[in-house]
Amino acid sequence: MKKKLVSMLLVSALAASALTGCGGSGQDNQTQSTDSSGVTGETAGDAGSSESTGGSGEVKEFTAFFATPGTEINDDNEIQQMIAEKTGAKCKETWLTGQSDSEAVGTLIASGEYPDFIEGGSGTLQLYEAGALVALDDYLDNYPNIKALFTEQQWDQLRQDDGKIYWIPQFSCIKNKESVCTHNDEAFWIQTRVLKWADYPEVKTMDQYFDLIEAYNEANPTMEDGTTNIPYTILCDDWRYFCLENAPQFLDGYPNDGSVIVDPETLKIVDYNTTPTAKRYFQKLNEEYKKGIVDPESFTQTYDEYIAKLSTGRVLGMIDQWWDFAYTAGDSIRQQGLDAQGCNYVPLPITIEEGLTNQWHNSGGVLNVSSGLAITVSCDDVEGALKFVDDLLSQDLHNLRFWGVEGVDYNVLDNGEFSRTPEQVTQSADAAYKASHLCTYSYFPQYSGMSDDGINANKPEGQPNEFYANLQADVKECFDAYGVQTYVEMIGTSEAPGAWYPMWSYSNTLTTSTPGGTAWNRMGEIKHEYLPKVVMASDFESGWSEYMDAYSSCNPQDFLDEMQAELDKRMEEAAKYN
Amino acid sequence: MSNKFKNKSKANIIEPKTKISWKEIKQQKVLLIWSAVIVVYGVIFYYLPLAGWLMAFQNYKPKDGLWHSQFIGFAKFQQLFSDITFIRTIRNTLAMGVINLIATFITAIVFAILLNEIASKGGKKVVQTISYLPHFLSWIIVTGILHDALSGSGIINEVLLKMNIIDQSINFFAHPGYFWPIVAFANVWKETGWNAIIYLAAITSIDPSLYEAASIDGAGRFAKIKYVTLPGIKPTIMILLLMNVGNVLNAGFEIQYLLGNGLVQSVSQTIDIYVLKWGISQSDYSIGTAAGIFKSLVSIVLIVIANQIAKRNGEERLF
Repeated sequence: MKKKLVSMLLVSALAASALTGCGGSGQDNQTQSTDSSGVTGETAGDAGSSESTGGSGEVKEFTAFFATPGTEINDDNEIQQMIAEKTGAKCKETWLTGQSDSEAVGTLIASGEYPDFIEGGSGTLQLYEAGALVALDDYLDNYPNIKALFTEQQWDQLRQDDGKIYWIPQFSCIKNKESVCTHNDEAFWIQTRVLKWADYPEVKTMDQYFDLIEAYNEANPTMEDGTTNIPYTILCDDWRYFCLENAPQFLDGYPNDGSVIVDPETLKIVDYNTTPTAKRYFQKLNEEYKKGIVDPESFTQTYDEYIAKLSTGRVLGMIDQWWDFAYTAGDSIRQQGLDAQGCNYVPLPITIEEGLTNQWHNSGGVLNVSSGLAITVSCDDVEGALKFVDDLLSQDLHNLRFWGVEGVDYNVLDNGEFSRTPEQVTQSADAAYKASHLCTYSYFPQYSGMSDDGINANKPEGQPNEFYANLQADVKECFDAYGVQTYVEMIGTSEAPGAWYPMWSYSNTLTTSTPGGTAWNRMGEIKHEYLPKVVMASDFESGWSEYMDAYSSCNPQDFLDEMQAELDKRMEEAAKYN
Repeated sequence: MSNKFKNKSKANIIEPKTKISWKEIKQQKVLLIWSAVIVVYGVIFYYLPLAGWLMAFQNYKPKDGLWHSQFIGFAKFQQLFSDITFIRTIRNTLAMGVINLIATFITAIVFAILLNEIASKGGKKVVQTISYLPHFLSWIIVTGILHDALSGSGIINEVLLKMNIIDQSINFFAHPGYFWPIVAFANVWKETGWNAIIYLAAITSIDPSLYEAASIDGAGRFAKIKYVTLPGIKPTIMILLLMNVGNVLNAGFEIQYLLGNGLVQSVSQTIDIYVLKWGISQSDYSIGTAAGIFKSLVSIVLIVIANQIAKRNGEERLF
């Protein structure tokens, strides 16, 4: 009896601990809630209050959640303090960790508690539908800097079905003249050492690209320290699988509409998943996979593993978006001095056949109407929040955000031009320095293009002289060989596409509440599973037809129809302004 | 409980006894207050949230809330069961649940018995401590270790290559066939030591004189395990088995979510992941709730069946 008692006691103790974890789906709801704990209106205890010039002497602290991966800065960040002194406000930013953006937003909605500011990514429309956002129409006129971000037409494009504006796209404003040096978008990237080895050839087609990589890898299978090269890797982790799936649109010479091709002449939607080019592209990947050129871990690696791989300098080439690797792996390559071995990446103007104009890069900003910085119903000082955003857009504070402190992060030349020494550039790429000193408020509205002084770019990466002067040795050598000065010249640029562009800003908002949205989600599922299978298939043809069967079972036509309807709507809206 | 009922049957004869007198209440005041706290806790945290189940029968929109959303009957359930993806997640959840249950259950018992046979007290303590430490690691760390160990250049592939068992490294996470065993292995690695603690405790409470008697009767080590240890911990085993059967559908979320990828998604996704993917991230909270209800109902059915089987065989049972 006694032993029974003991075991029963133990069992019940275990049961108690086990049962608390039995909430099932309910448990997921808890994960995000910490992010939204509001600390609004709290007085900052340190530096800010003592020497504040912001009026009352109190620093208002806002909270923000951005549904995109990012790095938190230190609480005592220096530039953040300076901004707080000037504006009387600061913002504690939190970022996505682990989940996808719509998962994070879904949990926030379920909890009903929001931070003051939010950028919902592809969950933005859900936030609007849940009534979580504050309509900005009544306020905008009081904040000239915010108002000046967009034209009336653009503001109108941001109106939701109730006719109101709820969010401010952060990255769509080109102030004054456009000034771009970096190709911030997707491309076939290749390490400069490969191009150098082949004496900087013209690489224009996908076949040439892989031939070059193959030839180089055969001649130089390892890096200088003996690490074996990975000729070509594909990032395939969750939503980042665009590195695998959307190349066919570019190969056919179309811009990044992201989810479909828009035929600019007929204004009809074309599905890029089923084009002959798509088949050729995946067949090529399949061949290269069998030859051992495509990294066998491509489809199972996580984003972190991918970045770690790129950071070692082993990977000769890949498709990716610049922003997806340059600020992590790119900075790491710089820190390790791997430019000496030619491990930096440059983009190539690749299409499926020679003679097509490529549209990997387009001039003109992209107005992403699907998401932006929004203020939530949990914010108790909407005007204060908007004033903060407005202040951040003043030229002085904008310079402080993106250039840093004069004399410390950049110097001013006699003609008023900003310039940075190589040391300052290296320092600005250092993770610890970024956390303790720099504060760009990177998901608050901002400008690209030229500053009001007419001399400088709004961001260092747009400053041509400074950009070229601080290029790493291998990239400079490569650019010189091709007779270009910037990444953009390297890949070429095209006029901005038509008024519909970009279609992804619509497909990003689709949910399973419509047949098209359901189809879109199913297509995503199928592509996640079958595209890797197709690339790894021992018999490509049968693999491809299996994929096509599975693909057509998702009713892609439902999706395409909804995209067509949106395209028509956008063209109609645009016609009103002509 | 049972006593009260017995009294009730005699109620007509001894009237005063059945009534709960003030005196009695006063006597048990402290006990009553304590149990009231627990009852309130249970109502708030286990029963009130069940009102949320209404969502499954509505086309729930966060803007309209529970009160103003439109009722649609069983439409969400119909949608759920006509979705091949959901049917697949049921299969995956059940399969992984059962495999995990059997694997962790057997290893824990075997491990506890083996540990008990170690004569050196210090050695036993060391092994026990080391073996239950993984329990305190979160899944994100465990899956990180697994991902590293099983990667193309990971330790497992290195060892297999060096021993010439394989001539090309295996990409473990690219084959759907490996996924369930990997998950089971991870569970065993993480939980064996922890689960064994309870059996060890049960074994300690076995009367040593039984072992002495067995020795005198000429029982060896294995005979003692078979005739003394195992029967001694049988009640514990039965109770734990019953409780875990109810948990089969909680086959996991983190590990599958973190280890899964596109190639293996047809075998890796569990009901919980389905809820997250099609419920929360698509803002279709109704379908998420419907899937959750289904899961709870199946769990209850499973536990009742298991309990009945135990009852019929005259074994230890929950209710």
